[in-house]
Amino acid sequence: MSDEVLKNLKKAVIEYNAEEAASWARKAVEEKIDPIKALDVMTEAIRYIGDGFGKGELWLPDLVGAADAMQSAMPIIEEEIKRKGAKRESLGIIVIGTVYGDIHSIGKTMVATLLTAGGFTVHDLGVNTKAEEFIEAIKKYKAGILALSALMTMTAPEQKKIIAALEKEGLRDQVKVMVGGGSITQEFADSIGADGYNPTAPGAVKLARSLVGK
Amino acid sequence: MLKGFTRKFKPLEILTEEQVEAIHRGTLEILENTGMTFYHEKALKLFEKNGCKVDFEKKRAYFPPALVEECLRKCPSSFHVKARDPKSDLIIGGDTLYFTTFPGMRTVDLDTWESRVPTKKENDDAVKVLDALDNLHKILCYTPYFEVKSIPPITAIPESVAAKIRNSTKIQLTGYSKDCEIFNIKMAISAGTEIFGQCCASPPLTYYGDAIESAFRFIEAGFPLHISTGDVFGGTAPATLAGSMITNNAEIIAIIVLTQLIKPGTRVVAADFVFPQNMQTGSPAFGAIGCSLHHVMFNQIWRKYGIPTNNASVGVSSSKKIDFQCGYERAILALLSALSGGNIIQLHGGIHGELTYHPIQSILDDDIAGMIGRFIEGVEVSDETLAIDLIEEVGPIPGFYLNKEHTRKWWKKEQFVPKAADRLTYPEWMKKGKKSCLDYAKEKMDEILATHKPIPLTEDQDNEIERILEEARKYYQERGML
Repeated sequence: MSDEVLKNLKKAVIEYNAEEAASWARKAVEEKIDPIKALDVMTEAIRYIGDGFGKGELWLPDLVGAADAMQSAMPIIEEEIKRKGAKRESLGIIVIGTVYGDIHSIGKTMVATLLTAGGFTVHDLGVNTKAEEFIEAIKKYKAGILALSALMTMTAPEQKKIIAALEKEGLRDQVKVMVGGGSITQEFADSIGADGYNPTAPGAVKLARSLVGK
Repeated sequence: MLKGFTRKFKPLEILTEEQVEAIHRGTLEILENTGMTFYHEKALKLFEKNGCKVDFEKKRAYFPPALVEECLRKCPSSFHVKARDPKSDLIIGGDTLYFTTFPGMRTVDLDTWESRVPTKKENDDAVKVLDALDNLHKILCYTPYFEVKSIPPITAIPESVAAKIRNSTKIQLTGYSKDCEIFNIKMAISAGTEIFGQCCASPPLTYYGDAIESAFRFIEAGFPLHISTGDVFGGTAPATLAGSMITNNAEIIAIIVLTQLIKPGTRVVAADFVFPQNMQTGSPAFGAIGCSLHHVMFNQIWRKYGIPTNNASVGVSSSKKIDFQCGYERAILALLSALSGGNIIQLHGGIHGELTYHPIQSILDDDIAGMIGRFIEGVEVSDETLAIDLIEEVGPIPGFYLNKEHTRKWWKKEQFVPKAADRLTYPEWMKKGKKSCLDYAKEKMDEILATHKPIPLTEDQDNEIERILEEARKYYQERGML
């Protein structure tokens, strides 16, 4: 029965079905299935979609659809992990978001999804995120990486402000900062003291791995 | 006045009357039932006062169809815009076609095709080139570049407006951000030119405060307004052409209602700035044929509304180079927009995806504009052009037309001669160094920069522009933004 539930949970993510994914996640909790196993099958599903996307066989609507399905099941599983005090294996904890004043979400969502598929634990704060919200999330989730997105020339300087806020809070040494977005260049990333930049979503996963030494 | 081009035949239409009606009804339904979010209290209050249902908590306004249709009727179907030199005035609407630019964030190196931030001189020179081009009638905001060395981002728009006022008499559209339109309006008034203001949606169905504040300021200053959305169908709008037309039109019409409530008769241009979603990269699909399907439908529907149109997605390619792809994408899109009766086409200068611009591209585009403009002017059929008497006079071989007065009089009217195309015979081409259109465009740019002198501002006007720019710098310094 537990195999059946996990199989269906995975299937729901692969088939972009958010309702089904949440419902199978609840079922997994009811049947006292190891929540780490539930998380693993969802990560496998996202990795499957991410690989297809990387090969050009699947497209953005597939990636975003699967990410949404996983997002809907995630809080249920996470709560169970917390309740049981279980430990999840992860390459690292990442807080990601689009900076304040900028409401562009697609690039950020692609990166967040592929980072999840790549084995990271990702907390996506969404768009138009203020520096203090990033700081709060880093403390709350004990994140090792902060990933910032800005599409516009006008909002790129916000990334600099966030790095300054990290320094002010004494968090800069604990957090690696990676930046991206349409208007960002390596030169800009260097100038604001970011730890890494990559212009593509798959490249961002490689970058995150290198930042955690894996 | 700049005449632009006049379309002499029926426009291309791809929707049936029933389809136009279905899209219009769908738009009204969305405006009335789904409504639109405005992060702007004053606008919401104005809507409420004029019969819209408003949910102040959600910041959402719902528009009754009767109000919508009344406001659409109040917009002028064609109108005059005054430039600082009357020769650059525009009369927008009807069967007239004008060309404008497509901006780019940076310039591009013509050998490596990598982008780089231009200098202020390069920015000014690019504007001078636009001033000199025959088939370019209006200049867009952020044009040519959004990023210029030594100019901080916060003052980029006012500096860009000043560069255009100083280096060209052509009318410009201006951007808005963090109150910069206050200074843009002042500069325009001091130089004696009208400028277009702008108001852009943040799709789906949302307007942020900056956009609405800009609309209020431009309308109160008595300037015309350019309304656009930036819908990406499949991302921020439905993936279907018909569905995205509904959200796009609803977003534009909401601002048309606002303009006509603030000041009835306000001059507006409805701009179709849309792209299909590139489902691989997450960027808009620049240069896609979907842009044209959208523009052609848009032109048909807005002709019915009697409001001038701007087709905004034309002069921008997915290609990173000035190459075959860059050429075919913009030429096909521009032609379809012109055939379907678009009033303004954004063509000149943009290369890759809002990222790069080059004056050489604008020179090449001027030939595309000239070819298309010549085409839509159509065929003159009169006793003189039918030339029956002449044909009888010349007769069969050894008859010949090249030496006739009729030929000398007519050939230039009938033909369009491109400025940068390679039209040499093969031996001449070999002899002259095997040049391509790109080489000719480079030569043309050098020639323009060496010889073209835009009509300058008076010394007083120029000083006033500098004073207003200084006022802008102070304004941002005082607010800790500079």
